[in-house]
Amino acid sequence: MAVASVLTERAVAGAVDDDLRALDDPLNQASFTTFSQAQGGAREATSQFRVSGMYCAACAGLIETALQGVDGVLEARVHSATALALVRWDPLRTRASALVEAVRRAGYGAVPDAAASARAQREAEQRKALWRLFVAGFCMMQVMMYATPAYVAEPGDITPDMLRLLQWASWLLSLPVLLFSAGPFFSGAWNSLRQGRLGMDVPVSLGIAVTFIASSGATFDPGGIFGHEVYFDSLTMFVFFLLGGRWLELRARHKVALSLEAGTARLPDSVERLRPDGGTELVAIARLAAGDRVRVAAGQAFPADGVLLEGRSLADEALLTGESEPVAKQPGDELVAGSLNLRAPVLMQVLRLGEDTRQAGIVALMRSALTQRPRLVQQAERFAGPFLWAVLALAAGAAAVWSLIDPSRALWVAVSVLIVTCPCALSLAAPSTLLAATGALARRGVLLQRIEALEGLAGIDMVAFDKTGTLTRDRLELGETRVLGAGGDAAALLGRAAALAELSTHPASRALVAAAGDAARDATWREVEELPGQGLEATAPDGTRWRLGRRAWVDARLADSAEVPEGALCFGRAGDAQAAFVLREQLRDDALATIAALRAEGVELALLSGDAPARAAALAQRLGITEVQGGATPADKLAAVAAWQAQGRRVAMVGDGLNDAPVLARADVSFAFAHGSAVARSGADVVLLGERLADVLVARRQARRTLSVIRQNLAWAALYNAACVPLALVGWLPPWAAGIGMASSSLLVVLNALRVAQLAPAPGQG
Amino acid sequence: MDILFILIPLSVVLVFAVIGIFAWALNSGQFDDLEREGERILGADDTGRFPPSGNVDSDQAQ
Repeated sequence: MAVASVLTERAVAGAVDDDLRALDDPLNQASFTTFSQAQGGAREATSQFRVSGMYCAACAGLIETALQGVDGVLEARVHSATALALVRWDPLRTRASALVEAVRRAGYGAVPDAAASARAQREAEQRKALWRLFVAGFCMMQVMMYATPAYVAEPGDITPDMLRLLQWASWLLSLPVLLFSAGPFFSGAWNSLRQGRLGMDVPVSLGIAVTFIASSGATFDPGGIFGHEVYFDSLTMFVFFLLGGRWLELRARHKVALSLEAGTARLPDSVERLRPDGGTELVAIARLAAGDRVRVAAGQAFPADGVLLEGRSLADEALLTGESEPVAKQPGDELVAGSLNLRAPVLMQVLRLGEDTRQAGIVALMRSALTQRPRLVQQAERFAGPFLWAVLALAAGAAAVWSLIDPSRALWVAVSVLIVTCPCALSLAAPSTLLAATGALARRGVLLQRIEALEGLAGIDMVAFDKTGTLTRDRLELGETRVLGAGGDAAALLGRAAALAELSTHPASRALVAAAGDAARDATWREVEELPGQGLEATAPDGTRWRLGRRAWVDARLADSAEVPEGALCFGRAGDAQAAFVLREQLRDDALATIAALRAEGVELALLSGDAPARAAALAQRLGITEVQGGATPADKLAAVAAWQAQGRRVAMVGDGLNDAPVLARADVSFAFAHGSAVARSGADVVLLGERLADVLVARRQARRTLSVIRQNLAWAALYNAACVPLALVGWLPPWAAGIGMASSSLLVVLNALRVAQLAPAPGQG
Repeated sequence: MDILFILIPLSVVLVFAVIGIFAWALNSGQFDDLEREGERILGADDTGRFPPSGNVDSDQAQ
């Protein structure tokens, strides 16, 4: 027998070990670990885990400590609101299984973060939380009913026997609340104590435990040291309300996780690949290679970045660009992995797969942002420790003083002090608020590379823009038409020129075609010839040769003309220019509105451009920006930003993430428009996935709102604690009132934090 | 009034029974996604067409 039981024990232990050892299999690791070369050539791994069993922000610190205690761990970051752990470790010195084991030893659970297991874990977590909440709620209702007679009856109405029976029934129904529903508080308190720290669960569980023990004493030994008062109703209600607050917080956290995951979980498992012989085969997405041709059905997600070959459809790219309108796609257009094919089946060619796609870049960026613990949260946590010590000291002091004044009340006053204090604004509210704000921005296509950027962003009073690709798009538009010959009709000339320009793909030609729009293009051109660097030449119906192109080529008289600027398109017979079309860079659609709105909010604006000073100045004038620096090298831009900062301004730089890296790093907050798959490579704090400049404005407003919500929560916490703790100390707050106060205060804080999960509507936009 | 001495213990038993029923409902996934069930009727699936034969009102039959 003994041998058999030892054997089964081994088998069980072996099964657990197998489970852990599977984590070290390189194939399994690939789903949650990335390997990279550190400085010095050593290989290092970055793994992502989902942590379970976390109930407050302090837990994050405990798990970090546990992970950092493992030899070979270079860095461990745990984010409380998302329950994600990001660990950088040295594959030579430790293994993935050792990391999971360390987390388990600290009293928590950890599973590799692959989306499917995360979803299952969320479901289990949600069920468990609901289950605890329900048990607490139902028992609370019944205990209240048993308690009511004691409150309403006149002395002598109830026989002592009946009173005892009611108390016993209450005690019996409080047991599941204490042992099961309140479990998270006790385990949280125990875990933090074991690590030598004080979490917010400690006073809570102390209050619960003392209330239960004292009430039990009063129930079974009414003449004993605990008196005859029972508080089972207060106890169950306190636990129920507290669990209710946590339930709301959990739901909100899951919602953010779900919306962020939606973008990542969308890739299909298998795709229909075209074989060289024309047939199709169903293959796993991992087996695709660049260059493959893939058929994508309507309603399916595109499996890779690529190009559309056949068919027309609409694509929903909302998760990848924040663009809520479906985008029309025709052959030759780029397709983004993870976006949804809405209308018709199409054939696409695969260009980039897996880690190289824009989607993978976005996912990596979101993950790293979500595992950060910003300075703001760290500060709040630092305050939470001393605050909790003060609470314990006050409770002990109150018990001591009251035992001199009125020993029968000493215990209840101490319990009231323990449970009335509400540290949640310090430990819970800041991370929840930041997470909700980040999630809301991400849904609009504004990704924060550093969550701390929100803090800097709120205080920005100057925005410097790069020109090309930021304020303007890389395309031209017609600024004005100048008629050179006498009696010419500008519209007719534009129509004829556009008819000719339609035959070319040069950006200047496209600008003319776009400007002419649907205007009559009766002219028909024959024998069209394109001379690179000069322009187009063609024969008109009357047999004359016309030219459209550089001024000196069309008409030598205009070579040094002051009337026609260099770079304008001239149109006319050779040597007899009829019209000049002055082209300019096309502004982003919302550039003017955004600039105006920023100025209205009191933000100073500047333009820093590497382009020719005259062109930069012209553009600045169109936008009404007075501070302009054209022809600036990266060093000049850096110097300009540094000079503004020296004047005490806090500068945000909006630029091109790849070429403006130094100045972006120098600015207090940096924005960059995402270019294709290089999303995560740009060094900017904020990456704009959409093509809207207004996102800068939206991000700044959201940052201000977020900080004001955090400040409101802190102010509320200070006010509430300052008002209620003295009341509890002087004995005016019975335990039930303390329970209601604490529970509703934490509910208020959580609900206030969740307000920023919705972006404030931007004026002038739908 | 003596009946209360039976009714009160009975109510305790009843509460535990209700909690047990809720546990069953919860673990069979009834509360996992409350929004989805409400939207199910709007979803486009072709399993919910007319029954293949019989049980169709004469004015609905095609």
